[in-house]
Amino acid sequence: MHEIGVRHVAQIAGFSFNMDTLYMTWLAMAIVILIAILATRSLHVIPKGWQNVLEIIITGLQSQINATMGERGKLVAPLLISLFMFILTSNWLGMIPTLSSPTSDLNTTLGLALMIVCMVHVLGLYFKGFSYIKHFFQPFAPFVIINLIEELAKPITLAFRLFGNILAGEILIIILLMLVPIWMPIPSVVWLAFSLFVGGVQAFIFTMLSMAYLASAVKQDNH
Amino acid sequence: MVDINMTLVAQIFNFLILAAILTKFAYKPLMKVLKEREDQIAKSIESAEADELKAQELLKEYHDQLATARIQAQEIVDKAIKRAQEEREAHINETKREIDQMRKAAQAEIVHERERAVAQLKGEVVALSMAAATKIIGSNIDTEANDRLIGEFIDKLDKDKMGGLPC
Repeated sequence: MHEIGVRHVAQIAGFSFNMDTLYMTWLAMAIVILIAILATRSLHVIPKGWQNVLEIIITGLQSQINATMGERGKLVAPLLISLFMFILTSNWLGMIPTLSSPTSDLNTTLGLALMIVCMVHVLGLYFKGFSYIKHFFQPFAPFVIINLIEELAKPITLAFRLFGNILAGEILIIILLMLVPIWMPIPSVVWLAFSLFVGGVQAFIFTMLSMAYLASAVKQDNH
Repeated sequence: MVDINMTLVAQIFNFLILAAILTKFAYKPLMKVLKEREDQIAKSIESAEADELKAQELLKEYHDQLATARIQAQEIVDKAIKRAQEEREAHINETKREIDQMRKAAQAEIVHERERAVAQLKGEVVALSMAAATKIIGSNIDTEANDRLIGEFIDKLDKDKMGGLPC
């Protein structure tokens, strides 16, 4: 019986690692890279096969990035596109029996969220300098408390939203298999289809919110 | 279940490695191809627009030429009709003239024939008169002298008649 959330923990150099999560992450990375290789193996001006798939993802996200960030969006565009593809693959990986999503481990989602938030602050300081620090004290100095809470909430909500959705999907699949006899697979199949949808939506939401946070730091001010 | 450990850091590095690989091997070449395609499409549209413009120009030129050709054709037809009319008139005139001539010739011939008939008749009258006279006189004098005598007589007769005495 697959136990939910219980992972094999290995101790390497005094640090503990969730090996299952890491294996699944490497598998997801391998799939993403494989798709990328398939898509770019023979690039044509007139696209076909996997090139179409990758182009749809890239051009779709690129147009969003251009709309929210403008010219500086080119800097983070490859990162956001990789983020989307990685999270999507990770989410869908959990639907295969015996495999689990890397994104159903809080370490993965929180890691990605923290990375994004760190990038937001670094890029904000780099592009806006002092005015970036000043905007935490707007409109009045005491608002710094609310602003800091907001900044803290960003990575936490980002991480827990993805983690919760994907973990819930995996848990419910296991529970459905336990509750419903094997000759009645319809609820599981319906839930699997819904998980597929949720996986796509969550990957999209994570990418979009990251984009929005990055945009607020990167976008040029007109005033 | 929700234990946070070094996996978090490892995941960040994992993702950064993935992002680097994807950027280098997928994103950049694909963007290049996209740019290429954009350029190609822009060029195609441009050339299509230029072609259309040229086609329109050509069409206009053809229309102009067609109009000119039509006008010229009309002119040629008009000219031909005019010439045909002229020719017909000329023909008619000539025919008329010929008819006139023929009529005149016929009239002249009629006059001539009449004169000849008159002359013949006169000769016959002379001969008859002479024969009558010979019978009456009973002897034939010199034929030549007779001819002359009677001719003079008839001439005188003619002259008298023509001299203002209409019969």
